[in-house]
Amino acid sequence: MKRRGFGTAQVILFLSIAILVVVVAVPVLLIFLNAFWVNGSFNVADVIRIIREPDTWQALVNSLIIASGTTIGSTIVGTFFAWLVTRTDLPFKRFMKGMFLVPFMLPSFIGALAWKMLLSPRAGFINRFFMQNLGFDGPIFNIYSYAGIMMVEVMYLFPFVFIQVCGALERMDPTLEESARISGAGLFTITRKITIPLVLPSILSGALLIMLYSMAHFGTVAVLGIENGIFNIPTLIYQRIHQSAGSFASIRTGTVLAAILVVAAALILWLQSKVLSRGHYQIIAGKSFRPMELKLRALRMPLLIFCLAYIGFTIVLPTVVIFLVGGLKTYGLPFTWENLSLDNYKFILFDYKVTKDAIWNSVTLGFSAAVITMFAGVMISYVIVKMKVRGKGILEFLGMLPFSVPGSVIALGVILAWSGKYGVNLYNTVWIILVAYIARYMAFSLRANSAALEQVHDSLVEAARVCGATMWQALKDIVLPLVRPGMVAAFFLIFLPSLRELTVSIMLYAPTTRTIGVAIYTLNEDGETVMSAALAGIALILIIVGETLINRFIKTERRGG
Amino acid sequence: MYKTFRVAVFAVLLSFLVVLAAPLASFAASAKGGETLIIYTSMKESLIGGIVEGFVKKYPDIAVDYQSAGAGKLMAKIAAERESGKILADIIWTSEVPDFYSMKNEGILEQYKTPLFGELLNPFDDYDGHFTAARLGTLGIAINTDLIKTPPTQWSDLFKPEYKGAFGIADPALSGTSYMSVALLDKQFGWAFFEKLRDNKARIGKGSGQVVDDTASGELAASLAVDYITNDKIAKGAHLALYYPPEVLMAPSPVAIFKGSTHLEAAQKFVDYLLGKEAQTLIAGEGTLSVRADVEKPAAFMLPEAPDALKRAIKIDYLQMMAGKEALIKKFTDTLQGK
Repeated sequence: MKRRGFGTAQVILFLSIAILVVVVAVPVLLIFLNAFWVNGSFNVADVIRIIREPDTWQALVNSLIIASGTTIGSTIVGTFFAWLVTRTDLPFKRFMKGMFLVPFMLPSFIGALAWKMLLSPRAGFINRFFMQNLGFDGPIFNIYSYAGIMMVEVMYLFPFVFIQVCGALERMDPTLEESARISGAGLFTITRKITIPLVLPSILSGALLIMLYSMAHFGTVAVLGIENGIFNIPTLIYQRIHQSAGSFASIRTGTVLAAILVVAAALILWLQSKVLSRGHYQIIAGKSFRPMELKLRALRMPLLIFCLAYIGFTIVLPTVVIFLVGGLKTYGLPFTWENLSLDNYKFILFDYKVTKDAIWNSVTLGFSAAVITMFAGVMISYVIVKMKVRGKGILEFLGMLPFSVPGSVIALGVILAWSGKYGVNLYNTVWIILVAYIARYMAFSLRANSAALEQVHDSLVEAARVCGATMWQALKDIVLPLVRPGMVAAFFLIFLPSLRELTVSIMLYAPTTRTIGVAIYTLNEDGETVMSAALAGIALILIIVGETLINRFIKTERRGG
Repeated sequence: MYKTFRVAVFAVLLSFLVVLAAPLASFAASAKGGETLIIYTSMKESLIGGIVEGFVKKYPDIAVDYQSAGAGKLMAKIAAERESGKILADIIWTSEVPDFYSMKNEGILEQYKTPLFGELLNPFDDYDGHFTAARLGTLGIAINTDLIKTPPTQWSDLFKPEYKGAFGIADPALSGTSYMSVALLDKQFGWAFFEKLRDNKARIGKGSGQVVDDTASGELAASLAVDYITNDKIAKGAHLALYYPPEVLMAPSPVAIFKGSTHLEAAQKFVDYLLGKEAQTLIAGEGTLSVRADVEKPAAFMLPEAPDALKRAIKIDYLQMMAGKEALIKKFTDTLQGK
């Protein structure tokens, strides 16, 4: 150790900082630089001018409207279902709970495509059914609207709240409610004074996550909004960059919008940490009592039917429509046996260069990004959680950064950083997408790996060392096996979402570097609706098989470990 | 302690590198390079695939690769490649005529006067060999045959009540052909044409393909439609029909060779092959118009004869059109959205 100027610890620290700086910090920094520096001088007036342009202003307002509506809707839906499956005697609760998590798997832009087919004003299957068979004069619902966008986003985002609230309700110490009841409080008082205050932080934290997600969400708005001129921040950034093939003015507008997104995201995350730290006091306490279950009595069956109908309506119906439309010869034909075949699926998998490339790109990109990010994540988390070196504070700050940077911001950032201005030109190659994926998913890896590392108490390693094991042995035999589930989780947490990634890749793709998400989106935009649906169907199969495999893996891992 | 720890760290780093290298190698293998003629085109996979196949059959010693994408994407790629020093493509073939004029002005196109020129229908009065039309795209009115019973014969038919709220034009900000159509219709009929469309609640769609699919599904009753997209769907059984008013909207697809192409001879051979009868027959088979009068138009397609269409086509000054692009798109959007 004394032979060199610095030890291994410093090397690791340096490497960790370097990775985060290059991959995440530089792109974000460049966005702020490009937004606020005009011709080498700081210029806020120009930023304000851009914000006040009617289109930009409208996009900001739209992002806010859509995010607020989605957040409120998802919070109500998520909390209600969470309460239903944890605190009542609803039949098949366990099954229902699993079903309510399924929307997590469905990419919302595929949901949006399905709902476009179901509820476009004149041709949507549901609207047409009402108009032709039930004598309605006009569509019952126009999906190309704010309400339509929010409805679709709520359908696929509410699990964020659901999962948080379920967790809180399950972990909550039931004795608190018990004692209130024994002291003579009614159900209403208990709910108001005990249950809600205890669960509120979880509800708020889930709601803020949805707000963050929805504000920076591209797919649904792109599929349903552009038609009626509804743009939000990410779709406006995309449209500007796409239209002008990367002119300076459009990139500047993009950077200003992106800067606003970053600030808003940081604000939301700060609020979330406030909310969570305030509510941390007392949720996890023993599980000595089963929570009091509300008897639904006569409402039991109607509520079960309601839940099943909800699942049928939001999960089964759209999926079925995607697969059916994917089987049609051409869009607009009725679903009869002679119009349906597997030809599109065959064509997409074996003959169509665009989709074959897309599937290959997504799988290799997802795999590479997952492997790289998994290892980098272990290393960085190890420094953050376990090592005691100077300069760790910088790393902690940098490690927080990926959590608060939305996808479209990362995409714009890597365009600025990697399109030749600083010596390396990756634009229009597959590499730029890889770099962006690593930046985008680093947060997932850090979260999974530090959670795993935190559970490995230092005393385990110390005990091994006392017994005469070398450092290497201790790492290999104790730390790594214990951290492995975290690493595997990180791998899948990155690999599966990247298979359906759209927001980042849509900004970065080149003719041969389409990903699955991009191919679905562009096929839809090109009017190849049936091909787009067929590819979406294949993507759904990939995702569902993948999720099932992980769940199985995680279960055996738990049982074995 | 640190010594052993350092070993561990190196092991971790090493495995990190190995895992990193595996996907890298696979990417490197898929990267294109070497002695290959590269074509950038916005033509559909089915069309360019067939043409390249025929070309390779005729010239087995020339390797060809192509990238098919929207013209905007391709121009962005070319711009990025120019910045880094070298355009990777040898040939470009899209339907965005203005792009070709600006590339010619920037001096990045190789002049090549094809010996076949005398046999071709030429839509460009100022032809000088920088680019040659290889296809005569047209736009007509596609109708959903379940919803509209009397075929349109004039552009002014679009103001009729049966098209109310159900006629769509692709967003000119997204689709180059749509932008060109708007410019052509403006030139021919003046802006009043679009004001009347607005009064009849015409809609702005997304891409030029999507308006056709929306027409097939009945979301729209009719749309301003590109010939081959519509004919392809008709062939698959969609309830669509395509009609041409007397004034034809024509969007020629020029082909050009990039200056500095290292496969100049092969590129010229490809251009000649593309303009020859064999490739043009393939083009006509896609449901669009060939640049050769001697190529049979398949009877199944509802298309005008190519020489006739060229005569009826609305003429426009492309350079002027280019200059006014952003303003025109904004005016169009504002008018149709009733601002």
